[in-house]
Amino acid sequence: MSKVVEFLRNIGLVQREVKQARRYVFEVSPERLREVVSGLIKVDENIYVSTISAVDYISEGFIEVNYCLWGINDAVMVVLKVKAPRDSPKVPTIHDLIPGALNSELDTYDLVGVVFEGNDKLRRGFLVPSEVVSQGIYPLRKDFKV
Amino acid sequence: MALIEIPVGPQHPALHEPIMLRVRADGEKVVDVQVVTGYNHRGAEKLGERNTWNKNVFLYSRICGICNTVHAQTYTQGVEAIGGIEVPPRAQFLRTLIMELERIHSHILIAAVMAEVVGFESLFMLMMRDREPVMMLKELVTGNRVLSDYYTLGGVRRDIDEVRKDKILKVLERVEERVKYYKKVFTEDFTLNKRLVGVGIIKAADAVKYSLVGPTLRGSGVKSDVRSDDPYAAYGEVPFKVITYDGGDCLSRMLVRFDETLQSIEIVRYVLTHLPQGPIAPKTPIRMLPAGEAFSRVEAPRGELIYHIVSKGGDKPYRVKVRTPSFHNIINGLIAYKEAKIADVPVILTSFDPCISCTERVLIIDEKSGNSRYIRLKDLGRGV
Repeated sequence: MSKVVEFLRNIGLVQREVKQARRYVFEVSPERLREVVSGLIKVDENIYVSTISAVDYISEGFIEVNYCLWGINDAVMVVLKVKAPRDSPKVPTIHDLIPGALNSELDTYDLVGVVFEGNDKLRRGFLVPSEVVSQGIYPLRKDFKV
Repeated sequence: MALIEIPVGPQHPALHEPIMLRVRADGEKVVDVQVVTGYNHRGAEKLGERNTWNKNVFLYSRICGICNTVHAQTYTQGVEAIGGIEVPPRAQFLRTLIMELERIHSHILIAAVMAEVVGFESLFMLMMRDREPVMMLKELVTGNRVLSDYYTLGGVRRDIDEVRKDKILKVLERVEERVKYYKKVFTEDFTLNKRLVGVGIIKAADAVKYSLVGPTLRGSGVKSDVRSDDPYAAYGEVPFKVITYDGGDCLSRMLVRFDETLQSIEIVRYVLTHLPQGPIAPKTPIRMLPAGEAFSRVEAPRGELIYHIVSKGGDKPYRVKVRTPSFHNIINGLIAYKEAKIADVPVILTSFDPCISCTERVLIIDEKSGNSRYIRLKDLGRGV
């Protein structure tokens, strides 16, 4: 059993079943996210942020932020799913814990509008063109129609 | 001396994805580098939500010209995971074959670009000449030399016969000989060594912490390759070595690519000699998928490529998140420029194999006098 997966199970996170091999998906509350990530890198420092992917569940009223972390030593992908309310999506930043998360946080803020609290480098226009930014649109939200 | 700011970019006619590096320098020494992005966001993720599952195979294979089939692979294998679709073994081998041909020409291309950036133009010409036969092999297998549209959900769209097989093996013999020679040139040439050895060093711990991927990560001595750690297509059945170099400098990253090219040639040989018989695609096209999600990873020539695909059931995806390897390597790789010389900036950027088009023209501003002038990236690399 992988050390990182064992750690996540031991701290009482809810695990979701997935079909793919080597993928372990856990649900984390925004309040516990930083504690979980800092615990993870203590258990195994060879973990990098593969991507942060936010999905707008408009009818359910929340945005789900998926932190995809790849553990190099154990060859496992750990996905931490954090739910944030759609009207004010806020999650804590992890870029001070894993600096490689910075570009993914910038990308997710600019395209989906998830605010990573504590990240002072967040800015609009990182990827989105200025005419879209000026209208205050987050293009990958479901209520933005092309 | 006054700090000068040098915007490297944002347009380049030869490669795609415009980006700009704002380099602040004290004399020759780089003090700080910032990256300016957002010149050409194409909205492929949003567009994918409107297209059907099948249409998206064509859309996502167009995200990148050079890594054309790896994008198609990442998307299709994610969709296949959601739908529980079995891919026939022959199609898995053919997918492996075409992705390795792509890796060969991509690695030769960036080595050629590196030769050009350091001012070794004849080497650039020779390498581009020797890359062309590999592009022709891609055409031979898929029908097109760049955008191949080789994939379909559950398989591939064209089979190969004995004649094509022999042709591929014959051409690769010559390519292998040339790649070995170019590796020797990069290892032994005095000028190339002066420009690449000890330049843009990234330590192993930093490479992991800053989430760098692919040859950039392996050039810092970290053994991480999706093909062996998280096998897909036929990689679980094909023997090959994961290449690492410990130097962490530009030369290490280039040598990783040379050795990987030689490994790719071996993989292609293995695939062609062990190609299973059988169908290459399902008899009926796949149109509807159940609800579910997939985290699909592939080792592109530039590193780990990941798609997060969410389905709510039906004929369209609910969300497709694409993260390309260059997104990590270019933006988080800024750590490598600290303390470098200005003339090394293009060399370090090229050593990441950036899938961007940033840098034919450079504006130099003297902050004190306010004067500015344009120079070409090539001249900057030569220290003009």
